[in-house]
Amino acid sequence: MTLHLDDDELVACVACGLCLPHCPTYRVTGLEIASPRGRIAAMRSVQYDDAPIDAAFVGAMEECVQCRGCEAACPSGVAFGHLMEETRAVLHDTPGARPRLGQRAVEWLGYRIVLPNRVLLRMLTWLIWLAQRLGLVPGRFGLPKLAARDLTIRLDSDPDPEAFLFTGCVMDAWQRAVHRSALAVMRSTGARVAPSPNGGATCCGGLHTHSGRLDEARALARRVIASMPGDVDIVVDSAGCGAAMKDYGRLLGTVESEAFSARVSDFSEWVVERGLPELRTTGRSVVIQDPCHLRHVQHAQGPVHQALALAYDISTTADDGLCCGAGGAYAVYQLQLAAAIRTRKAEAIRNASPMATATVLVASANPGCAMHLGAVAGLDVRHPAELIEEALP
Amino acid sequence: MCFPRSTEEVAAAVRIAALHDRAFVVRGSGTGLAGGATPLADPLVIVMTQMNRILDIDPVEQVAWVEPGVLNLDLSRAVAPLGLHYAPDPSSQHACSIGGNVATNAGGPHCLASGVTSAHVRALEVVLADGSIADLGGLIPDAPGYDLRGVFVGSEGTMGIATAIAVHLTSNPPAVRTLLLDFTSVEAAAAAVSGIIASGILPAALEMMDAQITRAVEDFVGAGFPRDAAAVLLVELDGLPAGVAADVAAVERVGLAEGARTVRVAADDTERELLWKGRKSAFGAIARIAPDYYLHDAVVPRSRLVEVLHRVYEIAAEQRLTVMNVFHAGDGNLHPLIVFDAREPGIWPRVHDAGDAILRACVDAGGVLSGEHGIGIEKRDFMPLIFNPDDLDAQAKVRDSFDPSGRANPDKVLPAGSRCGEAQRIPEGAWI
Amino acid sequence: MDLTDALQSLAETVAAATGPVVGVGSRTQFDAGNPVPTDAIAIAAPCGIVGFEPTDLTVTLGAGTTCAELDAVLAEAGQEVALDPADPAATVGGVLAVGISGRRRLRNGPVRDAVLEVRFATADGRVVKGGGPTVKNVSGYDLPRLLVGSFGTLGLLGQVTLRARARPARTQWGARSGAPGAVLASLVQPSAVLWGGTITTVLLEGHPDDVDRELRAGGLECVSGPAPFPQGPHRGRISVRPSAIEDLGPVLDATGCRWLAEAGVGTVHVAADSPDALAAARAAACSAGGWLLREAGAPELDGFGIELPNVAIMRRLKDAFDPEGKLAPGRLPLISATASR
Repeated sequence: MTLHLDDDELVACVACGLCLPHCPTYRVTGLEIASPRGRIAAMRSVQYDDAPIDAAFVGAMEECVQCRGCEAACPSGVAFGHLMEETRAVLHDTPGARPRLGQRAVEWLGYRIVLPNRVLLRMLTWLIWLAQRLGLVPGRFGLPKLAARDLTIRLDSDPDPEAFLFTGCVMDAWQRAVHRSALAVMRSTGARVAPSPNGGATCCGGLHTHSGRLDEARALARRVIASMPGDVDIVVDSAGCGAAMKDYGRLLGTVESEAFSARVSDFSEWVVERGLPELRTTGRSVVIQDPCHLRHVQHAQGPVHQALALAYDISTTADDGLCCGAGGAYAVYQLQLAAAIRTRKAEAIRNASPMATATVLVASANPGCAMHLGAVAGLDVRHPAELIEEALP
Repeated sequence: MCFPRSTEEVAAAVRIAALHDRAFVVRGSGTGLAGGATPLADPLVIVMTQMNRILDIDPVEQVAWVEPGVLNLDLSRAVAPLGLHYAPDPSSQHACSIGGNVATNAGGPHCLASGVTSAHVRALEVVLADGSIADLGGLIPDAPGYDLRGVFVGSEGTMGIATAIAVHLTSNPPAVRTLLLDFTSVEAAAAAVSGIIASGILPAALEMMDAQITRAVEDFVGAGFPRDAAAVLLVELDGLPAGVAADVAAVERVGLAEGARTVRVAADDTERELLWKGRKSAFGAIARIAPDYYLHDAVVPRSRLVEVLHRVYEIAAEQRLTVMNVFHAGDGNLHPLIVFDAREPGIWPRVHDAGDAILRACVDAGGVLSGEHGIGIEKRDFMPLIFNPDDLDAQAKVRDSFDPSGRANPDKVLPAGSRCGEAQRIPEGAWI
Repeated sequence: MDLTDALQSLAETVAAATGPVVGVGSRTQFDAGNPVPTDAIAIAAPCGIVGFEPTDLTVTLGAGTTCAELDAVLAEAGQEVALDPADPAATVGGVLAVGISGRRRLRNGPVRDAVLEVRFATADGRVVKGGGPTVKNVSGYDLPRLLVGSFGTLGLLGQVTLRARARPARTQWGARSGAPGAVLASLVQPSAVLWGGTITTVLLEGHPDDVDRELRAGGLECVSGPAPFPQGPHRGRISVRPSAIEDLGPVLDATGCRWLAEAGVGTVHVAADSPDALAAARAAACSAGGWLLREAGAPELDGFGIELPNVAIMRRLKDAFDPEGKLAPGRLPLISATASR
């Protein structure tokens, strides 16, 4: 059995251990196998020493949040995220490593049917809204409280837009208010903007890449690229989607996909680059949580801090941007670990807050993180776009 | 393997090992470089990562009690609001644990002026090999009797397991300046090191990086290290402002006199931290050059630095290997780093031969085997290079006094045959 | 100077002795701890500077060398080792064996931190080396730290290598009335803060401008020298936690002892006119969580007045290094009911 991992990538790790404290699962478990170094050692034993792909191996791989905090800490430049994606792809195709039929059926429905289908997703969203109204959704599911007012928001398009705001799948269904704020802030820079045509063909495929469904991810990427031809800027207000779309070039390996990826910016990157109008000073404090896919993958957290500092007293957590445990679908699969990681993160956020207020205002540029952290009592998690919109002149 | 959460659980694990006459090995973050925590012959591995609480901080007496799994940098961060820090700062300080630091008597760039771990550990609660719990040292200046604390620090898990550690916290100096000096030859840089020390300045840190490592580091951090320098010195001076200013001027003078091309003084904390991040990432960053490395850790008298560095480069050339040097120049603590690709056929013997030759060269120059990484299994069989049988016998007596059973991390530190009357098994060619 | 032969003959002398032996230097601290048998053979360590490399900041010397001589040699190169014995005639070996740190410990750390390498004679006549000559070394177990403060009960120190440092540009004593806590808190790096009950005396070392700044920060008046160590026929040294000193001072006053405390360190030097007063000082030290080493006089008083912690390990060390009990027998209270052998 082999994982078909790139040899150079796999041997690049010198096992120095500098990644350990930057790994959220190692931080909460103290287990070597829950660390990047341990996971690489496990990958090596499968690839080089004929170790079996057994439940222990699969579990160790699935426990990884794929936050890529280890990459930022790694002086050897180990491409851990890529190694993990490739490993998951192999696991996805390995009969013995697959989950049980029921789970597979749900995953198939989610990844293949719902996420790529805008109409179905919206219908499902209204169903959830209804169920929430009827009190049928237990709180432990961690779903945000949906409001009919938000679900019906219309996103206006300017003629001849200079930039598209990629609206995506879940975010388009559940967080249209963020999109509306993002468009408003983008307009405040003087630009003509519009939501992505055809919804940008919905899902970016990031979640699929994460779970090793690379073929599906590639199909979705092609669809997204096809939906936005030309050279108009593509602005993404979800750090996870932005990271995935900036990586299309590598995922598909075509000139066209690389050109597409080069057009993609994170929302804050784009508005800071374009130049924000003078913002009102709000006098409020906000703790900025850097989503992993913004900080460790896109390396684009700076503009969020720059933009918010214009209107807020910003502070940051003293944990080198340790992951919050959301990790796309991770919070659903790894309930306990995700919750333990979140608890640690919430503490770091409270410690970072200059005032001991009952509710701490938090900025997060990723909807997954926002939902995950938003479930913690006492944290009011908002997207930077919303906070900047409030401070527009 | 077990993951205790309390002193009592550690004691219980050790007693169970005793009951079954099993050896035990204690492990922290696994960042050690001498194999001290490597399990040999199927011992019970006691992993301390879950004993990671800071138990007490006393800002007046400047003491913190910590569990051994607390990470070095986490402690400094926790006491930063009090204007304090924990002085020993191994390059792995993000990841290494205080317990591991105690086991190896770890050093770090800033140990030049302030001393290595032993000088910062006041008291220890330890579990001995029989499962009993003992308190070594104390928060009073002198504990009566032998300095058992001093012997335990650096004993690499062969005397027991530290379960709580009282460390001294150092006040942050009011003034800190960091300088980067850039040379066109390694010799000139080494001469500048000697010149700085000889001029009576004791920098907080005095580090050297040679050309290749400087480029690798620059690729990682982009701190503006000169990519064309043959060697750079990173000098940190701290203390009261006037003394620091005078020392900065003196270091600049010495550096320029020895041929420094440029002397850059970090303008602010951000620039300082970036320079240090570069220095502390050096060992990991070499993977950008080759996937494997063998890192040595020997100390030579500071006055012999230049000749030993020469010899190190010669040895590497003889074995057709690349060697890089990044080290604590101020205290003569060399870290020759042999980089290679283990997939290359026949490379291992050359790497080992070069390593052996480098160690011998250091010992020949009046040096010692390890400055801060420890002996572990890596250098165990080199101990006869610097200690004669009587010396080793004395060390074996010390170890046996703590652990008469010999179950605490056996076969580490001391080579077989250390005890008088024990069969001598000197590794081939270990005598020179 | 090469002491190899001298060390060998030191070891042979120890091995040849059939009764108890004790290392002696200048006998300035010979009464510290418990007495050795009166018939113990007194053996002196070799003296002289073996090697001094100013650019290495290390010095190697015979343990019988006096601190005064060492200081004179180092001073020529503008360096020093801050041993600071009360009597400069003390030998380096004596200071290390008793393990008394000088009054600049606050800045420089305990005396054992300055010892890099030791060569000592064992009871069975071997010369054993521990540590190494470099300023940084973790090769093997830390025998130097074990030997320092062992009162010559594990081996006789013959040769040592010490870490030197540059002499400060300016040395200035300052004083002000009141307890030391506030002074300590206001200074960045005093070398010593001594308190005798009414006056706090501070030693400042460093760049002249920094010394001035520290004098101002501490509200200190320049004085010519430190408060003297207390004198008297019955003397001792207390170790307590630094925070206990300000409460301990008045209690010591009530015993009739004269005393001088090293603030921030926790050492209190005590002198009394009667053994009873010294015993009272010991009681005060013990109730403050510390202990008192009898340094001179008060022959009826136990040298330590406290059971040694972990005496079983210490006993095993003693038995391993000196199975016949030849070296300074009785100096340390190594007998315990719980000792395993």
